[in-house]
Amino acid sequence: MTITIPNDIRSEFEGYNYIITWINKYKNVKNTEIIFDFGRVTFLEANLCALIGTIFEMLESNNNIISIINIQPQVETILRKNEFLLPFGFNKITDYNDTVLRYRKFTPTDDLGFNNYIHNELLNKRQFPSHSEKLGKEITRNIFEIYENARTHGQCDYIHSCGQFYPNKLNKPLYFTIVDKGVNIKQNVSAFFNQDIDAANAIEWAMKKGNTTKSGDTSGGLGLAVIFEFIKHNKGKIQIISSNGFYEYKNENTTKRKLTTIFEGTIVNIKFNLNDSNYYSLVNEEEDFENIF
Amino acid sequence: MKHLIIKDIINSELAVSTENGEKVFKLIDSYLQKKEKVELDFVGISIMITAFLNAAIGKLYGKKEYTPDFLNEYLKLKNVELEDRSLFKDVIQRAKEYFANKEDFEKNSNNAIYGND
Repeated sequence: MTITIPNDIRSEFEGYNYIITWINKYKNVKNTEIIFDFGRVTFLEANLCALIGTIFEMLESNNNIISIINIQPQVETILRKNEFLLPFGFNKITDYNDTVLRYRKFTPTDDLGFNNYIHNELLNKRQFPSHSEKLGKEITRNIFEIYENARTHGQCDYIHSCGQFYPNKLNKPLYFTIVDKGVNIKQNVSAFFNQDIDAANAIEWAMKKGNTTKSGDTSGGLGLAVIFEFIKHNKGKIQIISSNGFYEYKNENTTKRKLTTIFEGTIVNIKFNLNDSNYYSLVNEEEDFENIF
Repeated sequence: MKHLIIKDIINSELAVSTENGEKVFKLIDSYLQKKEKVELDFVGISIMITAFLNAAIGKLYGKKEYTPDFLNEYLKLKNVELEDRSLFKDVIQRAKEYFANKEDFEKNSNNAIYGND
């Protein structure tokens, strides 16, 4: 079976809706050799490899064998630099620009692996803002919050991660994407309320401080809220796609929409602005820390 | 006073997982149970997230005997970077709400999403 990948899929509602609807047509395919034809793809946002990797994981879990053909040179270069193509018989190309955060997948227990990944791929990058240590720290913290969230709520087999810097653009954006195909936010929130909750509303609920589906002897409900606060200050962007819900925050605007079909997992795509020289610590430093309890 | 160095307990400079938070909680709890004062030292911790702090610190509020006055007297925090302090505040406030009455909390959450009617 040959599947032709459409050209110019972007990380916008239409792009996600297209790719998820399209790939769901193949979700029941089993024990088949699937050839992905990249011939039409002339541009690919590198961080979307996290989503494509998750789709491949879904197909491979049905005993399908995946191969890739007709990849255009400019796309091939990017996907060899970020190592996405390496399992498919391609060799690595060194990223001399140092702008690629390699594609990787992690098991939920491999927090050490993820730690090393962030250390090597992000913190050690010469493009990472050394002029603002606090900004770098906040960005790293937020990435770990997303990872921990996927790890503890998703009950997934793998967490897929990928990213790309654009140091020559005005805001020096860093795009970072984490995808898991575990339990989605709609399922978690609906189970918590024992009622069917609209997916986009479930995502919005989970973004609010204090809201959590965790129960038991540990409190929660801060991780996504911390990220949301930071994105607001950083004037960045966050998109969360989970089940058939699409949630986006950018430029002080929230968009909630419904996808045509269900994504059986969660995509978190974040744009951080690395030239945020106005960034200042979000703390009230005069707080009485002696009697904090 | 017992001096506990987080990075030695979790063997990492990254305080980012719930499991490592639990390790720290258990150790703090074991000394507080004996009414021994604890100094919790964050020296060398480069990144800390709420999930870790929920488990390490927030969980203390799940024990009725650990009142805020008791914790202020028996648990001291050391070498916490200024920019990390607001996380502690959030986690502590959140844990107080959460454990004050879990049932009420769940009911309030329902009201927040469906309204009070």
